Amino acid sequence: MSNKLNWSRKMTVLTLVIFAALYLLIIFFWGLFMNPGEYAVNYDNKLLMPSIGHLFGTDAMGRDMFKRCIKGLSNSIVIGLLASLFSSVVALIFGIASAVWGGVVDRFVKLAVDLCMGLPHLVLLILISYMLGKGTLGVTASVALTHWPGLTRIVRQEVLHLKSSQYVLASQKMGHSPVYIAVHHMIPHVLPAYLIGLVLLFPHAIMHEASVTFLGFGLPKEMPAIGVILSESMNYITTGKWWMAVFPGVMLLIAVILFDVIGETMKKLWNPNSGNE
Amino acid sequence: MKRRFLSIMLAVMLASSLAACGNSGSDANSKSNKSASEDVAKDSSDSQKADSKNDDSDESINIYIGNGVFDSSMDPVKGFMSYGYPFVNEALIQADVNSNYVADLATDWSVSDDALKYTFNLKKDVKFSDGSDFTAEDVVFTYNKVKENQANNENADLSRLSKVEALDDYTVEFTLDKPYSPFIDIVAQLQIVPSDAYDEQKFETAPIGTGAYKVAQYDANQQIILTINENYWGETPDIEQVNIISMSQDTAYSNACSGQMDVVMVTSTYINEEIEGMKLHKLETMDVRNISLPTLTKQKKSDSKGKEYEVGNDVTSDLAVRKAISIGINRQEIINAAFNGEGVPAVNFTDNLPWASTDDYEDNQVDEAKKILEEAGWKDSDGDGIREKGDLKCAFEVIAPGNDEDRYKLATAFAENVKELGVEVKVRNESWDVAVEEENTTPIVWGWGQYSPTVLYSLFDSEMFLEAQYANVSGLTSKECDEAIEKAFNATNLDDAYAAWKEAQKISDAQYPYLYLVNIEHSYFINENLDISEDTQIPHPHGHGTPIICNLKDWVLN
Repeated sequence: MSNKLNWSRKMTVLTLVIFAALYLLIIFFWGLFMNPGEYAVNYDNKLLMPSIGHLFGTDAMGRDMFKRCIKGLSNSIVIGLLASLFSSVVALIFGIASAVWGGVVDRFVKLAVDLCMGLPHLVLLILISYMLGKGTLGVTASVALTHWPGLTRIVRQEVLHLKSSQYVLASQKMGHSPVYIAVHHMIPHVLPAYLIGLVLLFPHAIMHEASVTFLGFGLPKEMPAIGVILSESMNYITTGKWWMAVFPGVMLLIAVILFDVIGETMKKLWNPNSGNE
Repeated sequence: MKRRFLSIMLAVMLASSLAACGNSGSDANSKSNKSASEDVAKDSSDSQKADSKNDDSDESINIYIGNGVFDSSMDPVKGFMSYGYPFVNEALIQADVNSNYVADLATDWSVSDDALKYTFNLKKDVKFSDGSDFTAEDVVFTYNKVKENQANNENADLSRLSKVEALDDYTVEFTLDKPYSPFIDIVAQLQIVPSDAYDEQKFETAPIGTGAYKVAQYDANQQIILTINENYWGETPDIEQVNIISMSQDTAYSNACSGQMDVVMVTSTYINEEIEGMKLHKLETMDVRNISLPTLTKQKKSDSKGKEYEVGNDVTSDLAVRKAISIGINRQEIINAAFNGEGVPAVNFTDNLPWASTDDYEDNQVDEAKKILEEAGWKDSDGDGIREKGDLKCAFEVIAPGNDEDRYKLATAFAENVKELGVEVKVRNESWDVAVEEENTTPIVWGWGQYSPTVLYSLFDSEMFLEAQYANVSGLTSKECDEAIEKAFNATNLDDAYAAWKEAQKISDAQYPYLYLVNIEHSYFINENLDISEDTQIPHPHGHGTPIICNLKDWVLN
């Protein structure tokens, strides 16, 4: 009986993850290879309600909102991907270095983490993006540069915990260098926590990209992006053009939730004891 | 998961409730609007009620005219409302509906034959709102104050004014160093402040003037409350209190939907909507939108201080390209696409200005435009729909600067339209900071519209190139044009000046340094019971919707 229950739960989890991954992959590749003509300006189709031809309706320039959403989300995913890859690598290096070497390195890393976390995140994002001249570069850099502190702390804790374990001590006694220990004993051990952190960074990165863009400090207006679409739709929402805000908003929400679901599920699979923490 | 699902539902519900104030279902809305308007502050509900028709006390209106009024100091000495629609202070003369100057605080004026002496006779029995008398002394004080603090006021250039004297209590004489025909525009723009009560600090928010209204309350970035100036020399206005409210446009629109506003400025986004109890008015402006087309090839140039700038654009530097675009695009189609048809096609400054060139040309000459491009060597040899000449593609960027949705829409519609000629235009939205940095290399969507022809000096004179922001960004260098402008400045009467200004435009227009697109219109939703006296509205100068208050004193609330 319990076996059966277990099996069905695993199946649910698996289906969920596959569905989530598929949804995100489709959006990602569809947007990546989309012909710009598909969301081009077409003044004959201004402000159409959602229909079969235009699933999400059209905007004031007659651009198809569905295609713009897909392209925009795809852009967001690219930025999210770059940002979380960069952030997680930084976190891994900082986390391990700080725990293994300790002393000055540890103090430096902790200081850097505190510095980053001490400022409100959105303010820091705007600051960096503005400094780099906004646009794609600004928003990508700002999102990439501000998402590592949380993960760094997790990695550092894990490694500190490992440091006192028997086999690490034994390895040290045998005269292995800290780098050797880090690569051979630490990384394999923190990898699950690290990968989960990586996936869980994604929704943050995407949300932050969208909000910075929404506030006008991110992606340029001419680029399809959820933030741009949402801020544009603000001009039309009072006149009842609800589809311009609702669908893109829901699409963003679903993408973010799905990443979250994948991350949380992986956490449960790889780290079953996390429920007891 | 349950919690997340709930949050999605909430988000969807929020979005759809926000959308409720739409054009559809206006019946249901208006019912709920009525109940909402009953809760509104007493003053605004009064204006809504029909039975207040005979009750003339306590009439007040709420108006939204953009937030420009809140952005600057209200001190005329620092240039407040110098585009010609002041409401607290008044100038010696003002423009009438035909853009001719008529007396305001002056009764009449004369100009000496050498155009060096301007003599103004002033109205008697005019009082400032603080009760003090308006005399020649105030005029002298105001002009000297501006001249001493010229750096604070770029709109009233008094550098050619040598002295201003009070011949008696009601006569003022201005003496110029050399003839300067736009001086009369300055007299119309510069409003008089009282010599005794002037206080640089206080006038930031509470100027004292001779106008029909005075500032009763100033709440920074919230509202300005105007009440009637009891000492006003003219007929007492009908409306007791005017609340100028600062908000975002969509908030203003929503408030109008719920019956709380009497005047709401709207952009073309809203002009197809309907609001119960309000009517859409489109008012004439002298405001044009044009795109600068740099006339120089890409190179480096230095200004008079030796600072080096990157200037020019290899595509737009070809006269054939500039001309072909100017005659080849279909302006009406662009206006329909971008502005829902709001605005009038323009190929020049508007003819409601006496100095503006009236030389028109036909647009939408697609075949002719294509011929010009072909002859200049721009051919589409690789079949991608975009012409090229050697390695150079016939493509350029256009910057739609600032937070102006309309300029972005206009630029996009232009980009679509010009495709037919085989020219590729990429539109970028940038902040003004970035736009100004690139103003000499990248075409930019500009807005111009003022009574003073000095704008032509700034746009076309070669000595302005690189010397000031926004000035001669196309890099026009024409000796004949410079001479015509000089002639206009030095003209001893207005007719000669206007003729010279037209000549300067004729010379520069042949180079097509600016692509004029549209003479915009200002649209407002106005309470059906409010008469804004359209007959006495001047053609609106540049001002993002604020100029509607130019005749505030003539408004009548029924």
